[in-house]
Amino acid sequence: MKTSRAARRVRPPGRTLRMIVGLATVVGLAACGPGVAAQQGGSAEPKSGGAVTFLIDSLGDTWIPNNSAISSFQGHIWGHVTDKLVYVDDKGEVSPWVAESWEQNTDATVFTLHLRKGVTFSDKTPVDAAAVVANLDIWSKGDPARGINPIGLFPKTYDHAEAVDPATVKVTFKAPTLGFVPTLGYHGSILISPKTIALPAAQQADLANDIGSGPFVVSSWKQGDSVVLKKRDDYNWAPAALKHQGPARLDTITYKQVAQPSLRTSAVRSGQADVAYNPSPQELQSFKDQGFTTATPRYLGFVNGYALNTKVAPYDDVKVRQALQHGIDRKEIISTVYTPDWLPAQSLFQSNVPGSTDRSADFAYDADKANKLLDEAGWAKGADGVRAKGGKQLTLTLYANPYLATSKSVDELVAQQLGKIGFKVDIQAFDVVTFGERVKVNSPSVVAYEVTRSFIDAGTVAGVLTDANKGENWFGLGQSDQKLVDLAGRVAKAASVDERKPVLDELQGYVLQQGYFVPLTQIVQRVYLQSPKLHDVTYNGLAYANYYTAWLG
Amino acid sequence: MNRDYAKYALRRVLQALVVILLAYVFTFVVISVLPGDPVTTTLRNPSNGFTEEEINRIVSYYGLDRPVYEQLWESLSRFVTGDLGVSLRSGLPVSRMIGEVLGSTVLLATSALAVALLLAFGVGFGVRHLPRNRGQGVLRAFPSLFLSLPNFVIGLALINVFAFQVGLFQVIDAEGGAATFFAAVALGIPVSAQVAEVLVANLDHEGSQEYASVALSRGLGRTRLFLRHLLKPSALPVVTVIALTVGELLGGAVITEQIFGRTGIGSLVERSVTTQDLPVLQAVVTLAAVVFVLVNLLADLVYPLLDPRVRLGDGRPRERAEVTT
Repeated sequence: MKTSRAARRVRPPGRTLRMIVGLATVVGLAACGPGVAAQQGGSAEPKSGGAVTFLIDSLGDTWIPNNSAISSFQGHIWGHVTDKLVYVDDKGEVSPWVAESWEQNTDATVFTLHLRKGVTFSDKTPVDAAAVVANLDIWSKGDPARGINPIGLFPKTYDHAEAVDPATVKVTFKAPTLGFVPTLGYHGSILISPKTIALPAAQQADLANDIGSGPFVVSSWKQGDSVVLKKRDDYNWAPAALKHQGPARLDTITYKQVAQPSLRTSAVRSGQADVAYNPSPQELQSFKDQGFTTATPRYLGFVNGYALNTKVAPYDDVKVRQALQHGIDRKEIISTVYTPDWLPAQSLFQSNVPGSTDRSADFAYDADKANKLLDEAGWAKGADGVRAKGGKQLTLTLYANPYLATSKSVDELVAQQLGKIGFKVDIQAFDVVTFGERVKVNSPSVVAYEVTRSFIDAGTVAGVLTDANKGENWFGLGQSDQKLVDLAGRVAKAASVDERKPVLDELQGYVLQQGYFVPLTQIVQRVYLQSPKLHDVTYNGLAYANYYTAWLG
Repeated sequence: MNRDYAKYALRRVLQALVVILLAYVFTFVVISVLPGDPVTTTLRNPSNGFTEEEINRIVSYYGLDRPVYEQLWESLSRFVTGDLGVSLRSGLPVSRMIGEVLGSTVLLATSALAVALLLAFGVGFGVRHLPRNRGQGVLRAFPSLFLSLPNFVIGLALINVFAFQVGLFQVIDAEGGAATFFAAVALGIPVSAQVAEVLVANLDHEGSQEYASVALSRGLGRTRLFLRHLLKPSALPVVTVIALTVGELLGGAVITEQIFGRTGIGSLVERSVTTQDLPVLQAVVTLAAVVFVLVNLLADLVYPLLDPRVRLGDGRPRERAEVTT
């Protein structure tokens, strides 16, 4: 009797399972839908107060100032906790900051910096000439006995610095160093209290001990998790270029590490955070359509491109190198891999670098011209579409640069484009460790080295083109190309920007016409997605977002 | 029994110490044979602008240019005195780095274990109560379903629904109560599967015994039978399974902490593996070995005390323990 009653009540087989699947589908679909809609607009008058939450993929490894100052991630925090001697804006223009003026001797070997008075570190000690000398020394030499690294990109020509009086510093170099003043605005050149500099490395590694003079101070931090900054009420020495003086408008900034890109963007979309760092380029348009702000500032530096090793055949032939330049369609790279926020290369340098000139005609995409150049060089197309000469195929190996996330996708597209004009392209992708071991610029096995590098002064180029003065010798030319040696030497020795400008122009033209460098696109290394409530964010020459001027409305 | 037990306990403790020491050495060897080192890898990025001389000087400071056996000896000498060294990447003392994050992982792991036990006992209870054609089959399928669901999938689904849609917790407040609960659910679900499987199998076995049928026929309620007579004998093997799930909890914490943005031992492991930060990695692996060994040691030592059927002869390990019925 009991059994038959139960049998009458029995549900069709699988009904419970179907309910579970149905419920899961509803929940899943709900999860895919848009979250809290972005709120548009806000008042136009800057307001004080408020807290900003910035979601970042990593907070780097160490907080020892010298060892971490050029980290792509920690630069965000240092930029708010510390000041620099000069300010470099997104157009590469250098303007006064803690150094209110400076002069140099005629051969750019001695510089005198005049410091702004009244600037103090957050421990109330003055940012005076002695503090600046201590910083210059540690940037240049580090302290190997204490595990403090030097700042790698600080000019190697540095000799010494001396405090002439509390507000004047004299800096001497062993050779002309026109790039010195712009380098003072580089992300490594952060002014730190001499008390911090004197601490052992293990204590400097505790961010709470790292004292700067910036508009924010560290309120709390947790290794690998978050850093909370609060504004400094007595801050009153911002660079004039930022068009705001006094304390910062925001009360606090929280940098929170969230490794998953989709969680960072979803948190901004749902209003749980204000800024997501490095969203995928392909997501940007959909966020813009929803009213969010996106920023793709370009840093100052070399464009993304290949430095060709001219020691390796057939790339010792200028026609083959030129064919490579003309065989790449940069517009297609931007429309396929990136978005219209990215720009094609115009030269060796990003177009916002002072001294960069538009040389795009020298390497413009022209498949017919590329084919003609290869025909002239004796490379004939075979039945399989691959060109060959003397029984040898026209091959090229590209090594995707692990420091640029989109590098492999770009290389794959370049391989297709070059395949159409008869190159047989192979792509190798390694992790950072293996890449460092196997792929070295100017190595016989590396024909095309993919360059991504920021700099603050175009004079950096003088140290990479040849092997003169321990140069990096990007093209394997040594000092065999006399014209290149001469141009690089003139750039290095130039005593003024005006004197250097025409030489830089000539140098860019020469390097590109000789096919030594194959430019691809201008680099956007830092991408920001932010709430529309956040206003007046500024971006410096290294594409870091500065929230000193920012406000919530 | 007492003398035998003391011998048995001593042997297990010595074995545990050897395992911990081997874990420390093994981690060192595995990381040392990998190409590259954390210091050079960072410095070699051409954007950093270091010369070879500068790189060599820095590598030498960290002693990474010395022979591997010298580095191992120094590391071991430090370890036996309780000094875990300094992180090659952060420059912070390793003991401080572990101390800062340990509490978060302990909280997550114990909460996840509680979730796993609740789920497993819930499944066990349901299986004994529901008739075969009223969902018992579905309940029996749960352990397999839970085992096949990776915790990162569960984690992402929970975040999407409960953080972004319902708004029960905030991604940026990963250590808050609600966020910890959902992280524990994500970590606990796969772990519950193993416990539930063993529990259900043992409940089935005990339920088919004569004493259970007699109790039911004499009018004892199903709930009372479950709680007073079936649960205790069925739960004993679960003690061993719980000891084994500690590894699962620690392994799962690596992914769960990453997904939920928590800072714990798991995220420390992830960071130190990707950056080849040897001192941190050695310390964390050794800590995991210590926890794993301790929990298993505890289970081994407690088992003979809990189950009077287990008899020990002459300090022999439990695998060879004599069970009399």
